[in-house]
Amino acid sequence: MIVLRNATKVYANGVEALSGVDLCIGKEEFVFIVGPTGSGKSTLLKLLYREEVPTSGQVLVDRLNLSDIKPSQIPFLRRNIGVVFQDYKLLPTRTVYENVAFALQVMGASRTYTRRQAGQALELVGLLKKANCFPGELSGGEQQRVCIARAIANNPPLLLADEPTGNLDPSTSWEIIHLLDKINKRNTTVMVATHNKSIVDGMRKRVIALEAGRVIRDQQLGVYSNVF
Amino acid sequence: MSVVSLVTITVSLVVFGSFLLAVINLGNIASLMGSKMEIVAYVDRDIDSLGINSTVNEMSKIEGVAEVKYITKEKAWETFKADYEGRLALGEIVRENPLPNTFVVRVKSPQMIGAVAKKISNMTTIDEVRYSGNLADRFQTLLDAVRISGMVLVFLLIVATLLIVVNTIKLTVMARQTDIYIMRLVGAANSFIKWPFMVEGLLIGVIGSAFSFIILKFSYDLVVYEVNNFLPFVPMITSGYQLFWVYLSVCLIGVFLGMIGAYISVNSLLKENV
Repeated sequence: MIVLRNATKVYANGVEALSGVDLCIGKEEFVFIVGPTGSGKSTLLKLLYREEVPTSGQVLVDRLNLSDIKPSQIPFLRRNIGVVFQDYKLLPTRTVYENVAFALQVMGASRTYTRRQAGQALELVGLLKKANCFPGELSGGEQQRVCIARAIANNPPLLLADEPTGNLDPSTSWEIIHLLDKINKRNTTVMVATHNKSIVDGMRKRVIALEAGRVIRDQQLGVYSNVF
Repeated sequence: MSVVSLVTITVSLVVFGSFLLAVINLGNIASLMGSKMEIVAYVDRDIDSLGINSTVNEMSKIEGVAEVKYITKEKAWETFKADYEGRLALGEIVRENPLPNTFVVRVKSPQMIGAVAKKISNMTTIDEVRYSGNLADRFQTLLDAVRISGMVLVFLLIVATLLIVVNTIKLTVMARQTDIYIMRLVGAANSFIKWPFMVEGLLIGVIGSAFSFIILKFSYDLVVYEVNNFLPFVPMITSGYQLFWVYLSVCLIGVFLGMIGAYISVNSLLKENV
């Protein structure tokens, strides 16, 4: 599903966020990307939904070389990728339902499809009852679930989550991770960038550890850190 | 926010329109000032038909003369009165016909007019010679100057207006940066993101055009009315056809400015954060 070949990203300010990353992630995997702040986790995800382009090397998503695609194709790539953020990025002036439906409308989805998909997504995250609330009226965990509902509304085959539990307390964090796990079991590839040690250790999934832009460990059924 | 661009677009369109109206009117006056090929020769004394014939013959023999016409002062007076019928109470101002008998001489080419006029003025029957050549030339020069400086002014105004529209729409786009970011993230096509801003630009253009049309129409009608009252000998353009084209081009430029402004600003911003 995802292949990185010697991917390097140097930002305009000279910071080398990723250097020579080689990765291969299969369909329907659940992967944690771990590492300290600034180790390149977010940049790695940004390369996948093409918010950033690698300075050198290749990034392939679903056999599509992201360096080659035209700007006009980017929207179509992104319709197959759901993205979840630490700060949710919800529209405060729209209701929960509208936030989810919005993602479908921008793709030009029909009204019936939008209603059905948004309803299903909200049901999956358990927020159907709060569909008419505004994001400001929800708790952090609920807002994160709205963000997830928006990301999966179109049933994308790939879901990327950048520090999804960064702003949440431990028990809410677990709720969110279990939700992501549930989505993974519905045949969606899930990649979670996090530095939440207890969650990574508790889930025992594949763990890719980054440090200073390099992959220092790639382990099935892994833990956050081998150094105890 | 968009009030600023609306006002700017309206103001520059009004200036642009006024300039167009001024140019077509000046051009109109210039063309009515008579062709550069005509000389008028006045005879103050009364003149009999024999005298008329011999003078016409004499003039026709001058080299470069194409045609000679005689207009009696009575006929000239009638035409004059008819021209200003209802606008000037001529009968109250002048009781007697103040106009002289007139020979109108057409020359074959404008270059000859000076020489012909000189020869005619040497004729004993003629009291005074006038030809509009010089005046028309000078007027034409003035008109050209107005046209060129007006074009420069209009160009600067259009650039300034465009910049202001671009920047105001940029502000609206920036205010909606989060929305746009999310739209792009969930896979909205660029066109989907752009069209609301394009509509906004179009709307600014359309409303600005409408305002400037109203302002121009009313003030021009007022100017025409006042000129007809106080300077009735200045011919103003009132033909709907010519004015229609002026107003139409003003409106089209307004709509164009709004659309292009929006297009430029949205495009530059969307390119910055692919």
